[in-house]
Amino acid sequence: MHYLTDPLQYVFIQRAILAAVIIGVVCAALGTFVVLRRMAVVGHALTHSALPGLVIAYLMGGSLFAGALIATVMTALGIGYLARDESVYEDTLVGMVPNIMFAFGILLISTTKSFRDLFSMLFGNILGVTEGDLHLIMLIAAVSLLALFLFYKELKLFSVDPDYAKTIGMPVKALHYGILLFLSFTVVVGIQAVGTVLTNALLVIPVAAARLLTERLGAMMALSCVFAVLSAIGGIYLSYYFGTASGASIVMFAAVMFAGAWVYKFFRKA
Amino acid sequence: MKVPYCQHQHSTPDPQAPALEIKGLAVSYSSEEKFALQDFDIRVPAGSSLALVGPNGAGKSTLFKAICGLLPVRRGLIRVFGHSLGACHHRVVYLPQRSEIDWHFPVSVLDLVVMGRYVYLGWFKRPSQRDVEIARHALKEMNVWDLAGRQISKLSGGQQQRVLIARALSQNADLLLLDEPLNAVDASTRQTVGEVLQKIKAQGKTVIVATHYYDQEEGRYDNAIYLKDGKRIKSPDQKEESIHNDCDCT
Repeated sequence: MHYLTDPLQYVFIQRAILAAVIIGVVCAALGTFVVLRRMAVVGHALTHSALPGLVIAYLMGGSLFAGALIATVMTALGIGYLARDESVYEDTLVGMVPNIMFAFGILLISTTKSFRDLFSMLFGNILGVTEGDLHLIMLIAAVSLLALFLFYKELKLFSVDPDYAKTIGMPVKALHYGILLFLSFTVVVGIQAVGTVLTNALLVIPVAAARLLTERLGAMMALSCVFAVLSAIGGIYLSYYFGTASGASIVMFAAVMFAGAWVYKFFRKA
Repeated sequence: MKVPYCQHQHSTPDPQAPALEIKGLAVSYSSEEKFALQDFDIRVPAGSSLALVGPNGAGKSTLFKAICGLLPVRRGLIRVFGHSLGACHHRVVYLPQRSEIDWHFPVSVLDLVVMGRYVYLGWFKRPSQRDVEIARHALKEMNVWDLAGRQISKLSGGQQQRVLIARALSQNADLLLLDEPLNAVDASTRQTVGEVLQKIKAQGKTVIVATHYYDQEEGRYDNAIYLKDGKRIKSPDQKEESIHNDCDCT
């Protein structure tokens, strides 16, 4: 039992667990729509696009959150806008833009004297979350989850039948941009936990695991959040006891959840 | 307090106005493409039923999409129950061909049919017990009430069609635009759909059905119009010749 309680004596661990749980819940909740609407590639694009924003903010001594948010929001809205021109396919933009942004970020990193300071941007630094960071994570999570709650039925209809949604007067373009905007917010909080390279995993893996076990949307979302919370806590404990990178540990725990769900489904069918 | 989806207020239909009035309509899928529908005129009286007959590519779906606001109108005028497009969303329902819906999305049949009530709810309001009862009643009308709890990914083609019509019924629209409702469905579904269409018409609603099967169903409709290559023609045997007059189809 002391294996569970020993880490909790440290304030930074308490803060890290709380932040990771909140981040996991937000990523899983919004990630449900990302996966079901086949937007996982867009999530991947946004996580990579955050890097130059982070680096520029770091070099200017500004807020990393703000830098990441500006970069992801610009990318999200830019992809949404440019995809209106049918001569440029959306998947081409999604494949092209984040790679350009990521390369730009690496270019900026290479101009600094050391990569060490920016390691946490790429791979996360949940154990380094400050009180101020935690408040910001809680604020973004609260706004995102509130939006999900308020617009849940509209998101459902827009996902299953966007044409019918349009015929009853729903502003489908606004919904589309709204999803991209909240995905940007979610990506920014996810980067704090697991970095730009792995945030998309937090959006996708818990949902993929839940989808193996249930076909009901509400249950899928709830189960995704449970998997995300267990992954967050398990990953931090793994990092504490074995000195592994916290972000990668969280993602690997999520992968174990997915494997477990797959095995369970396999034997239930047999 | 209700917050509607659309800025336009839901207008009370003009009781003297036809259900649908179109003059000189031209529609294309993008500003650079040639017209998918052009020089189209029609006047459909309220409470009538009309067959829209033509081969694939004739412009049937294009017409329905333009009436519902899914495609922009390049030229011409569309009035629904005497009002401009978008003034009374709740009174028009479009039943697309089944392939345009994401049937793999995890919602139940009842969830999908309750979506027909969203136009009355607007933002932030949840469906009430009455909305759910209306949806259940619509499922009963279409003889699929026992599928209420089933996921839509587990439906056959005929069941999908019945569920979509049930959603249209739960919306309680006055103008129904049904795009090939009998396409690739079993005989039992064809019969159920036929019976429901008769019932809807008896309630005084206006029904326009895009169909390939007019010869088999001629007795069901008050009138038929024919489309070919985006233009209205007088009969299926006639070469394309658009009708420019303000043509009353009765």
